[in-house]
Amino acid sequence: MKQITLTPKKFSSIALEFDELIPDEIYGWSKEDFERYEVPVGNTRFPLTDYYEIEVEGEAESPEEVKLTIDGDAGRVKYIGCKMGAGEIIVNGDADLQAGAEMTGGSLTINGNAESYAGREMKGGEITIKGNVREYAGTSYIGEWRGMSGGKITIYGNAGKQLADAMSGGEIHVHGNCDILAGIHMTKGFIQIDGDVTRWPGGQMKNGAIVVNGRLERLLEGFELDGIVNDPVVEGREFTGKYIKYIGDIGVNGKGSLLLNAEKNRHHL
Amino acid sequence: MAYEEPVKDYDKIVENCTCAFCGSNCDDLDILVKDNHVAGVRHACRLGASKIMEDEDQRLLVPMVRDENGELVEVDWDTALDKAAELIAGSIRPVFYGWSETSIEAMKPGLELTELVGAVIDNQATICHGPTVQAVQNVGYPLMTLGEVKNRADMLVYTGSNPMNAHPRHLSRYTTYPKGFFRRRGRFDRTLVTWDPKFSDTAKLSDIWVPFEENGDYGFCNAIRAVLKGKELKQDVISGIPKEDIYELTEKMKNTKFGALFFGLGLTHTLSKQRNIDIAIQLVQDLNKYTKWVLLPMRGHFNVNGFNIFMSYEMGFPYGVDFSRGYPRYMIGETTTIDLLNRRECDVFMVIAADPGAHFPGGALAHLANIPVIQIDIHWGPSTEMADVVLPGTFIGVETAGTSYRMDSVPLYMKKAIDPPETCREDEWIVNELLQRVKNIKEASK
Amino acid sequence: MEYILKNGIVYDPVNEINGEKKDVMFRDGKIVNSVSDSAKILDVTDKLVMPAGVDVHCHLAGPKLCVGRLYRPEDERKGVKPKTDITRAETGFSIPSCPATGYRFSRMGYGTVVEAAVPPLEAKHTHEEIIAIPNIDIPPLTLFGNNWFVMQFAKEGNIEDLAAFVSAWLKITKGYGVKIVNPCGSEAWGWGGNVHGIDDPAPYWDVTAREVIRALAQANEMLGLPHSIHVHPNDLGHPGNFPTTINTIDCMKDIKKNSEYRNQTIHLTHAQFHCYEGTSWRDVTSGAQPVADYINKNDHVTMDLGAVTLDETTTMTADGPMEYDLYELTGLKWANKDIELETASGLVPFIYSGRNPVHSLQWAIGLELALMVENPWQVALTTDSPNAGPFIRYPRVISWLMSNKRRMEMMDNKEVHGWAAKKSALATLDREYDFYDIATITRAAPSKIYGFEDRGNLSVGSLADIAVYDLEPNNFDPTVNAAAVENAFSNALYTIKDGEILVKDGEVVKVVSSNHVHTEVQGFEDQEKRILEQIMPMFNKYYTVKFENYIVHDHYAEPSTVYKVNASK
Repeated sequence: MKQITLTPKKFSSIALEFDELIPDEIYGWSKEDFERYEVPVGNTRFPLTDYYEIEVEGEAESPEEVKLTIDGDAGRVKYIGCKMGAGEIIVNGDADLQAGAEMTGGSLTINGNAESYAGREMKGGEITIKGNVREYAGTSYIGEWRGMSGGKITIYGNAGKQLADAMSGGEIHVHGNCDILAGIHMTKGFIQIDGDVTRWPGGQMKNGAIVVNGRLERLLEGFELDGIVNDPVVEGREFTGKYIKYIGDIGVNGKGSLLLNAEKNRHHL
Repeated sequence: MAYEEPVKDYDKIVENCTCAFCGSNCDDLDILVKDNHVAGVRHACRLGASKIMEDEDQRLLVPMVRDENGELVEVDWDTALDKAAELIAGSIRPVFYGWSETSIEAMKPGLELTELVGAVIDNQATICHGPTVQAVQNVGYPLMTLGEVKNRADMLVYTGSNPMNAHPRHLSRYTTYPKGFFRRRGRFDRTLVTWDPKFSDTAKLSDIWVPFEENGDYGFCNAIRAVLKGKELKQDVISGIPKEDIYELTEKMKNTKFGALFFGLGLTHTLSKQRNIDIAIQLVQDLNKYTKWVLLPMRGHFNVNGFNIFMSYEMGFPYGVDFSRGYPRYMIGETTTIDLLNRRECDVFMVIAADPGAHFPGGALAHLANIPVIQIDIHWGPSTEMADVVLPGTFIGVETAGTSYRMDSVPLYMKKAIDPPETCREDEWIVNELLQRVKNIKEASK
Repeated sequence: MEYILKNGIVYDPVNEINGEKKDVMFRDGKIVNSVSDSAKILDVTDKLVMPAGVDVHCHLAGPKLCVGRLYRPEDERKGVKPKTDITRAETGFSIPSCPATGYRFSRMGYGTVVEAAVPPLEAKHTHEEIIAIPNIDIPPLTLFGNNWFVMQFAKEGNIEDLAAFVSAWLKITKGYGVKIVNPCGSEAWGWGGNVHGIDDPAPYWDVTAREVIRALAQANEMLGLPHSIHVHPNDLGHPGNFPTTINTIDCMKDIKKNSEYRNQTIHLTHAQFHCYEGTSWRDVTSGAQPVADYINKNDHVTMDLGAVTLDETTTMTADGPMEYDLYELTGLKWANKDIELETASGLVPFIYSGRNPVHSLQWAIGLELALMVENPWQVALTTDSPNAGPFIRYPRVISWLMSNKRRMEMMDNKEVHGWAAKKSALATLDREYDFYDIATITRAAPSKIYGFEDRGNLSVGSLADIAVYDLEPNNFDPTVNAAAVENAFSNALYTIKDGEILVKDGEVVKVVSSNHVHTEVQGFEDQEKRILEQIMPMFNKYYTVKFENYIVHDHYAEPSTVYKVNASK
């Protein structure tokens, strides 16, 4: 097991880009390798040592054996864990844009908040965010109709607008509240929101499932009431209690399921 | 408005000039020239005419550099260009913003400079129709040239835009009033519809006004799509519109021969932003199952669309393109101007043919006040107050010829009518000079 | 500068040179038969030498392409390459950025690529993109098949006025020749409709595709243009469309050719999309045989393949209604662009997959056509790029044509669906192209079809446009080495354009401006003037730009190569 710890010592308002510092690339690096490494900042590269105290302990034969800890705020470090396939990354603070984007395996834990595009086009692995996420968590690339396709994102705080655009697989669990248009253009996969939702989950969704355990303010006309269900099983997961089930978005001939906790959503009946 | 005598005192008329104001790019302007000054403009709307006529007002004529006391002082061209080149060559996160009121010819060296230094290049789409571009990228782009509308359309829908104030000749020259080949009676052969929370001047002229509530756009379009699929609406009022009205409107839209939807920033900048456009585009796509429908964003500046086209053919992405890593990246929210300013990432800002001082949000401006700003423009404006180097350009379409793309992507070669002031330089020349000077600095430091 | 390209194995079908070991000499951009002692020697001993490639039909510059690039960032990010000291950054896979387009053609050894569809109103845009594409000459074809003036003249049978109009509009647009796309169908799309077959009239104009095609062909021959009419027939991509295809070329049979260099009076483009038998996608089978049979019996027609390469790509055509059909079929994002008084167009991304039965059949039909048409001079290699696949796949198509073993392997290994073998005759065709045939369908025939005497060959006086590939024809068996063939044709050892080395060892070493290649008819000026006066009231009333601002000004088409044509009746 190789434990790499980066302790911040200097803040740069121009974001650092960490896409090259993923377990898949760095499992064989020694402390000297890290000290020689220059990290992209804007149109230039600067020594990583300008920004971090670096500690490296142990050895790794493969990416699986890497644990990278950013021990502090990384609110100006983009692409943490981008395209990572194995190993573990822990951020003891906030993470900037694109955390865990295009991730295929391994785990990424953010103990603070995450900026937009966390888990964009995720294919596998696990992202845990203890705080809130901004917009477009688990989304697709602009123009791409095949979005997040695997893996799991757990958000303990709230999720911003347009969660999981064009989701085509995998799972997202939001423990807090969620803003407009979660699961827009979704074709497959599963979203669970335990808190309240402002408006319009599942806009233009073709398939997949969204469960809202909190209160939903506004529902789209594109959703047809399917009935009241007791203790539903959604995508293999069991829920207890009464749910109002809708099918939609019929605007795109969608067959997606939207389930609302009946107790909290009586106003829709 | 008082009666004004027609201008009779002029040396010559330059015919068929293209208006350098809005995205309608009217190319039928006659500019009356007297002593190398614009004495009058025929055929232009009040907005276009006043821009062309009152050009001398607040005109930037001499290069300027801000001195240690914070005052802009007049300098020669070499001094100003060297100062600007030095700032650009030494920057880590430069942003080159604007371009929508200059020519394609000026953009070319601008992009080269961007590639050379690893900058971000962006235009006003980033604060106006950017969401439209995003939506187009998500679901498609069924458009047409404006002549298709003029010759065929019998139903026009304007939403989130008020052309009577912002694109004054749009209705009269292209869509509603002109006599088209298949619409020989002009206005009488067409139904004009406005969807807008406001009773705008365009709504006042319309046959049908649909005042959906603010932020109701997405829900409203979603309901029409559901009706098209045969659904009975459950709610009595959707987005502030009674369901009976939605049924009736849907029926009319289905039964028209050729419909055209025009939308503006009222759609791009309400709650669901690009998703309003997204669903409006899908609505138009649905309607094509029944009859012909097309749409077009009401682009603002005369070459805002041109920049997006230029960047797409040169570099594959329309705006907000970041070359910091040596190859182009396009990621809304990350490589776009306002985000880079709000996050205080940008360290040198060059603005050409745009006025961020007048248009950007406070947070972005607060950062601009703290970093070096290079301005290439023809008028003194709020951005000049923030600028550290000011490079006076020339007026495309009046003083300098150049290429622009109309809102429907028709390319036009804008003529020149008069000579520019002697002390000013063409945008293309200025940007090219910066490119060469930055190249020299880079070479010297190798 | 003088050069000797020494000891290559040369394939130059125009001069009937079939794999001879010989030197090729050039000076000041032209092929010569002797050079001085100071000539620079490029030793290409035993390597494959051909004239630079000539592509008869590709969508590479113009408004449609730009819509594609603008609305498919997910395609653009696929081909991203950083800039180098010589080249700019590249983007895109199926719709590469302009610089990338030039570099990639150049790397494959191409020298001339025809842009297949230019709407006159936006011709400036096409030329702007040609300026941004380096290293290849680009002749643009101007769209005429749904033009209101053309339909009117065709309806009246007024060939002389039509010829004057064509002549004027080629000058206005700086175009090379006459393109016809789904004649009358794209006009019907102005109302959301289409036409079917060549005798279904356009709404209002009451004129048929047959009348429009024949009239434009007669005008084309009256002017004696170097290229024939270039036709994308009606019913593209519809099962059961092959009779429409045969009717389209057959209706031309009696029209007399007026050009010495080319043989054909009609060029059928992307034939693969027009050779389907059956009534639906369920019972569709290959219709390649009857079309190939017709072509084998008639020399007034040439065709290009439109071969499917089984990639994710972007479809784009002036055939607007076809693209809407495709959108309904796939549900993928649909773009449309109708141009006033002139044409329609549309785009939809498309994922061709070897697992899909229909796509596999389309793949088979493209290859069948190449193997069934006996005379390679009637065939040109295309993928209707990007419609049936991006142009960077030409080398792969070459490798398929050269190796029966590879084709059978793909069908046996299930790299393609069983429909390829079951519903086409591909599995029974063991013909294999040799290097001479490949040089014919990618160089000699394309230039002959276009009436280019100065390229596509290594004749003395021709342009020194030459490609050298890292294959030794005398020590190499292309029938069993498909991957090596693809690799070699993808990365030229040398690409020489106008006598300058632009590519070496598969890398671009020099970037030059592309020439805008267009025709200029001489001796028809009076007729042009008269016709312009005649149509100007209609122009002014129904176009939304002024005529003065409609024309492509000279500076948009520089540098240029102009082929002057003497109009002769």
